[in-house]
Amino acid sequence: MKAIERLLDRIIQRTNINLRELGYDVSPLVRKLIPPSQMTKFYAFYGISPYHALNLQFKHCNLSGSYFLGKCSVTNSLLYKSDIRGDELKKKADVFRYQDLEIQVDEDEEIEIEDSFLIKTLVHNFSHDPETLEKFFIRDTIASHYANIHGSPSDGCFLGPFATADLTTIRDCLVGTFSYIQAGEVSHLKIDPGTVWVRSSDTFNFLYRHPLERLNSYIHFTAGSTPGGIFIDFLEDRKKDFQKVFDVLKLEPSVPVPSSASLDRFAVIKPRTRIGENVLVSQRAYLQNAWLGKGVNAQEQSYIVNSRLEGNDITAHGAKIIEADLEKDVFVGFNSFLRGRPRSRLTIGKESIIMPHTIIDIRRPLTIPPGHLVWGLVTDERDLKGNSIALKEFARVDTRFSMGDMIFEGSGTEFVKAFQERIHHILEANGAFFNGRSKKGHAQQNQNISFNTIQPYPHGEKEGLYPTIIIRP
Amino acid sequence: MQYTVRDLMVPLSEYATVSVGSTLAEAVSALEKVQEDYEHAQYKHRAVLVLDSRQQVVGKLSQLDFLRSLEPQDEAIERIKDISKFGFSSKSIALQQERYHQKRPPSRDIFTRASKLKVEDFMQTPSEGEYVNEEMSLHTAVHQLITGRHLSLLVTREQKIVGVLRMSDVFAAAFHVMQEVKDTE
Repeated sequence: MKAIERLLDRIIQRTNINLRELGYDVSPLVRKLIPPSQMTKFYAFYGISPYHALNLQFKHCNLSGSYFLGKCSVTNSLLYKSDIRGDELKKKADVFRYQDLEIQVDEDEEIEIEDSFLIKTLVHNFSHDPETLEKFFIRDTIASHYANIHGSPSDGCFLGPFATADLTTIRDCLVGTFSYIQAGEVSHLKIDPGTVWVRSSDTFNFLYRHPLERLNSYIHFTAGSTPGGIFIDFLEDRKKDFQKVFDVLKLEPSVPVPSSASLDRFAVIKPRTRIGENVLVSQRAYLQNAWLGKGVNAQEQSYIVNSRLEGNDITAHGAKIIEADLEKDVFVGFNSFLRGRPRSRLTIGKESIIMPHTIIDIRRPLTIPPGHLVWGLVTDERDLKGNSIALKEFARVDTRFSMGDMIFEGSGTEFVKAFQERIHHILEANGAFFNGRSKKGHAQQNQNISFNTIQPYPHGEKEGLYPTIIIRP
Repeated sequence: MQYTVRDLMVPLSEYATVSVGSTLAEAVSALEKVQEDYEHAQYKHRAVLVLDSRQQVVGKLSQLDFLRSLEPQDEAIERIKDISKFGFSSKSIALQQERYHQKRPPSRDIFTRASKLKVEDFMQTPSEGEYVNEEMSLHTAVHQLITGRHLSLLVTREQKIVGVLRMSDVFAAAFHVMQEVKDTE
């Protein structure tokens, strides 16, 4: 086990060197997060399909319980139960548009993970940085539980639990617990826990910061202990269901799956779940008494419990929907936590946008009207009033606007447009618009993925390390 | 005339000083006292030097530092200050501050509170570029003031601080030389 400990020391040191300007030492936070003995318990696995590239390279690393798809290399790193999804990487000769430029991609893009420690982290999408089109790199970076590194090359960063870097190149940054950043490119920044920041340079700037004393009951993380709070309790309560899924070698779907839909073999499906056409259910998603209409998607680490999603609703990575009814075309952003109660259901009107990292936790019935933008922490009608606005009204903002803890500057029209375009793109990429012949997406292409497993050295000096492995067609 | 720093500096004995551990109220009193004692001076004193137990200068309190003591210090105001790093305009930040002050109108208490605060919590520790030797020329002093954007420099003789060179005095001297040059042409 010493090899893993030495590797962890190396990663901590390299991350700390990058974060020295912020005066931050990650060591007390991460050293005991995952006992090395845990890292030998689980196999890693990778997907093979005719629709995806297969080019994997692992060297001097531990990959415990992690999943890989596409073109990816991992060196000197520890990946614990992480999902490295390379199914949206750019391909050779693709044209990348950046501002007024059209840049041709020279070779197939690769996710390149070096000297990093990722814990239950999702890596997905592609590099949006015009300076590094062919490499979606993650270097000298530590990401804690349920972080999302989505289209965000990262160098020398620490991401706290449930933190998300989305479409942003981050260098030497500290992204606090449950913080979401989508800001193009940032460096040497300390983002406090509970920050939700969406910036498009020269167009708009949105900032919301969760009240920490209220956020702490949902998620808190201090040195020397593992993350805790309602989010973690919720996940721990369902952990055993996943163990069953990972222990069984071959698993047939427990519910009917239409031919245009995809139900990942590593998702948990509990009774009374219904899967509609063009539905995408990704690995580590959890469905219990979930009614999913046409074109709905449940992305990695999303949980849909006792809920009905009418159609073309997006449950982004890590989002949880409990005791809720969503009308059509609702977007629920990354890591959002929406919890109604059996007799106090949450209803979300059509075409509403629930911002990433929003918490809605109600004890009385609550209805979000159609076409609304919701953010922050909402526990009742009063909170909703202070943390939501009709999209049409928001689109009229052309200078600045603030409401409670949210401040906005720039063009509301552009902000709404950017979200709507992105939602359309997600649905398209996920195959929600498949018509039986064309417009295929992940829901249709991920149906017949085979999974192979790989294992580390079980004992000896290299215990826990995976041998150098190159996997190609 | 070829001015040196020594020609233009205010000797330490004529400058307002307080000891570490003094309150801001005591610092203000010291400033008022030198103002009265040197009423004839063309330019007013605007800073107070802070001395340690060995009478060494360990810090400087400017008018800005005094004003900083009147700023509210709570989590809400810190969060507003933090907004700047996210790239918001000064106007947006000012509006947030205005909203904060409307919710919590300032009272006389903030002045009472500020008067009891310690000088060491607000003083600026002189940086390397804030020292100038008394033998140096006016030009060197001008360069140091510009590059460091300082309002004054501490004047040294060997290892000891012997005075303060204020921007206002340097400006007056430079203006005087300019006039002389003009008159001789």
